[in-house]
Amino acid sequence: MSRTFLPAPYGPPRTVWDRINPVRLIGELSETRYWMYLLLLPSALLITAVVLYPTLYGMQMSFREMRLNRPDLGTGFVGLRHYERMLSDPVFWVSLRNTAVWVTFSIVIEFVVGLIAALALNRNLPGTKVLAVLILLPYFLPNVVAGHMWALMLDPRLGVINDLLVRIGLLEGYKAWFADPGTAMAAAIVVEAWHSFPFFTLLLLAGLKGIPTDLYKAADIDGAGPFAQLRLITLPMLRTIIAAAVILRVIGLVNSPDLLLILTSGGPGRSTQVLSLYAFQTAYRDFNFGYAGALSVVMFVFLMVFAWAYIRITKVNQE
Amino acid sequence: MSTLTLRGVRKSFGLLEVLHNVDLELEDGGFLVLLGPSGCGKSTLLSIIAGLEPASGGDVLIGERVVNDVHPKDRNIAMVFQSYALYPTMTVERNMGFGLEMRGVPTAERDGKVLDAARLLQVEHLLARKPGQLSGGQRQRVAMGRAIVRDPELFLFDEPLSNLDAKLRVEMRTEIKRLHDRLGTTVVYVTHDQVEAMTLGTRVAVMREGVIQQLADPQTIYDRPANMFVAGFIGSPAMNFISGVLEAGPGGPAFVYEAGRLRLSLPEPAMPRGVAMGRPVILGTRPEHLTLGSGSAARLSGTIDVVEPTGPDTMVVAMIGGQPVTARLPPRVALRPGEPVELAVDTSALNFFDPESGERL
Ligand SMILES: Nc1ncnc2c1ncn2[C@@H]1O[C@H](COP(=O)(O)OP(=O)(O)OP(=O)(O)O)[C@@H](O)[C@H]1O
Ligand SMILES: [Mg+2]
Repeated sequence: MSRTFLPAPYGPPRTVWDRINPVRLIGELSETRYWMYLLLLPSALLITAVVLYPTLYGMQMSFREMRLNRPDLGTGFVGLRHYERMLSDPVFWVSLRNTAVWVTFSIVIEFVVGLIAALALNRNLPGTKVLAVLILLPYFLPNVVAGHMWALMLDPRLGVINDLLVRIGLLEGYKAWFADPGTAMAAAIVVEAWHSFPFFTLLLLAGLKGIPTDLYKAADIDGAGPFAQLRLITLPMLRTIIAAAVILRVIGLVNSPDLLLILTSGGPGRSTQVLSLYAFQTAYRDFNFGYAGALSVVMFVFLMVFAWAYIRITKVNQE
Repeated sequence: MSTLTLRGVRKSFGLLEVLHNVDLELEDGGFLVLLGPSGCGKSTLLSIIAGLEPASGGDVLIGERVVNDVHPKDRNIAMVFQSYALYPTMTVERNMGFGLEMRGVPTAERDGKVLDAARLLQVEHLLARKPGQLSGGQRQRVAMGRAIVRDPELFLFDEPLSNLDAKLRVEMRTEIKRLHDRLGTTVVYVTHDQVEAMTLGTRVAVMREGVIQQLADPQTIYDRPANMFVAGFIGSPAMNFISGVLEAGPGGPAFVYEAGRLRLSLPEPAMPRGVAMGRPVILGTRPEHLTLGSGSAARLSGTIDVVEPTGPDTMVVAMIGGQPVTARLPPRVALRPGEPVELAVDTSALNFFDPESGERL
């Protein structure tokens, strides 16, 4: 066979040293089909250690009792008890509904504003470079900073926004936006949208740069107006990027409690309580890690189903 | 009646002026080729005709109408892009009918026209596909089909064949010529390929750095180039240039070259008119106007440098007056580099240029 043509370390072993020489053994191994798996092993181990193990650990936690303030209950296996409890937990259902509202409205506003900003920045008019940096600024702010900043701006006594709205006559008197169950969610969504629309701008702008300008010239000649061009050329060509951005953003919105934690802590009442916040509070305020784990698993399943359904519906994987 | 008229069209990008005072006229049913090296402003001129770029000055007329401020969709034109610019998310059928769709043409009529054009271009079987599922040549056909469906007053082509391989390019060139003969449409066609220009054009405008160097029918451009740029740009291998002086010698007028040591006797009709004797000139002669032979009075003498058989011809490069001169000779000539050679010149097809300005004398 061709083996006989191979240089020294790969030929048939001739001496005892040949049989134990590690370099030679590795060399021989690299000729086999197991070599591929061996090369993948380090990264597989790393992924297992930092991704798979914590995830599975969190999941198995949801089938256990684990209340840090009740060590007497132990950490035994409790089957689906947490999940049963969830079904009759009114806070869970309120949180679920609020999560849907929070995610839907935030995504829609962020996408629309982000798209408009991206289209504007893509026009390459003078000054757009500076404008691009300005538009992207909110996204560079950590959630915590953005949250505190807006909490201050919307403050019922000191807030600059109240002051402005009263001055231009839109508002009778100062309003405690986050203290009114009727406005708390809307105000939080505005803050969230302000903070994260640049995420869409950034991704959509990258997508827009990739659309050949000849298409728009052809469309001009064919008589498609700006709206038809947006609908028939730009959006279809951005489909993949939009899908990726929406999925990423939905995951972020479902999983991150930080902004709402700072702005409202889920209040007033439960008007801004979302699942991520509920899970966070269950774990770190009530120290009930078992139930928090179950809530997280439910969120995880929802996200999986969402991503799957969304990709199916938008058919992005069928290109 | 002329379909397209340009009057003093100028275009600047900031301080850079890329088109200077372009004037031209194209008759109904004519095929105008804009020919020139890369960056000379061909695409820019086409964009101005299409209305995709505003001109910085001058007028564009399509038919009798000044269209300077008319939107591209209202200019009654169709354009085929170098990149084809097919809408990737639409089927071929929708791509071809898109212009009609946007103009509110009823579906039944639209489908009929699309089908007709698809038949004409033999892309009927591709109608349901997306552009991504087509080969380069098929995309090219679809792009032309999209233009034909609209039945416009004026077709604009921007290097439509430059993304095709050599064989397909020749095929499509013939196809375009056939379509033009058949449909009788008026065409402006941008290319930097001189063969396309010669074969397709009824008029050729040779451009350089935003200036039209010569606007004429292809044969005139080939036979009587207006200047050395046009002479050198058209023809392959390029026209030979030899610098020398015109003299009235004892044996009649002659072109004297290689520092006065060699002379080419010229019959009276070959002399450029109104040119003083003793004047330095550049003589231009095409490779096919040179033949082997010492019998002729008008001949150039030199040494053979390279012999390049191409099949139907053999290109022989000889050093004459210190300058390489290419002759297109019959195949299987028995010549070897280093040998002396005498090339007879067809004096009925000589060109003389001014060494200073490069203009034809
Ligand atoms: N948008 C623009 N801004 C600035 N300069 C431009 C712009 N478009 C074209 N130019 C310049 O104008 C000149 C002519 O460009 P044009 O595209 O018309 O050349 P072309 O003859 O079509 O060349 P090619 O054969 O390479 O397509 C070039 O020097 C180019 O750099
Ligand atoms: Mg061009």
